[in-house]
Amino acid sequence: MKMIRAFIRPEKEQEVVQALEGAGFPSLTKMPVFGRGKQKGLQVGPVHYDELPKTLVMMVINDTDVEKVVGLIMDRSRTGFVGDGKIFVSPVETAYTVRTGEAVL
Amino acid sequence: MKEITAIIRRDKLPETKKVLEDLGYPSLSIQSVDGRGKQKGMVCDNDLDPDLPEKFCTSVKLTPTPSTYALEHTLPKVALFVPKRMLTMVVPDDLVTKIVKSIIKVNQTGKTGDGKIFVLPIDNALRVRTGETNGEAIA
Repeated sequence: MKMIRAFIRPEKEQEVVQALEGAGFPSLTKMPVFGRGKQKGLQVGPVHYDELPKTLVMMVINDTDVEKVVGLIMDRSRTGFVGDGKIFVSPVETAYTVRTGEAVL
Repeated sequence: MKEITAIIRRDKLPETKKVLEDLGYPSLSIQSVDGRGKQKGMVCDNDLDPDLPEKFCTSVKLTPTPSTYALEHTLPKVALFVPKRMLTMVVPDDLVTKIVKSIIKVNQTGKTGDGKIFVLPIDNALRVRTGETNGEAIA
């Protein structure tokens, strides 16, 4: 299993969620976060924004679905401008469902 | 070392903290998150979560035809995302099963929305104050 953590634009969140649901991945956790990238924030005229609001979408999926999910998120959250976000993939050893207590995703 | 990420019901947080304290592992981070599982959210006015804030509930939208418009008003509201609490803790390898089991025991209600627990490998840990690494940092 792999954990996907995608930092995306908040305005693209609904689109991404709907696309993932359509592809059969309805389960996800989202949280609002603030961050910056290598551009050190955003300069709009005289105003410098050091940290920008992003949405962190977290989901755990089977190894075989990683490419599909990452591709979907990339497709839907890309605008071509800086600040589109990052996607991180990390290994997950076990996933438990609390309701049943079983170690299945 | 392993990282345990547990996504649980909001009202179970105090109990879970109590249990972890009793086990001798009180250190954890708590975050408010919105999530959903394979049920794609939940229906608002049922007994799954009586304290669900109104802003999470939305009306069901059907394909607009005259008959579905009338139907929309009779359908219960749904929450596409449900507020949850996410606990993150880093623990030694041999304690993972014990902690996971006790979290499951406290949080199990048998209804959907009980949450998920993920166990992730952690390469290294450092305590900022002293610079200790690995096992000493989380002891």
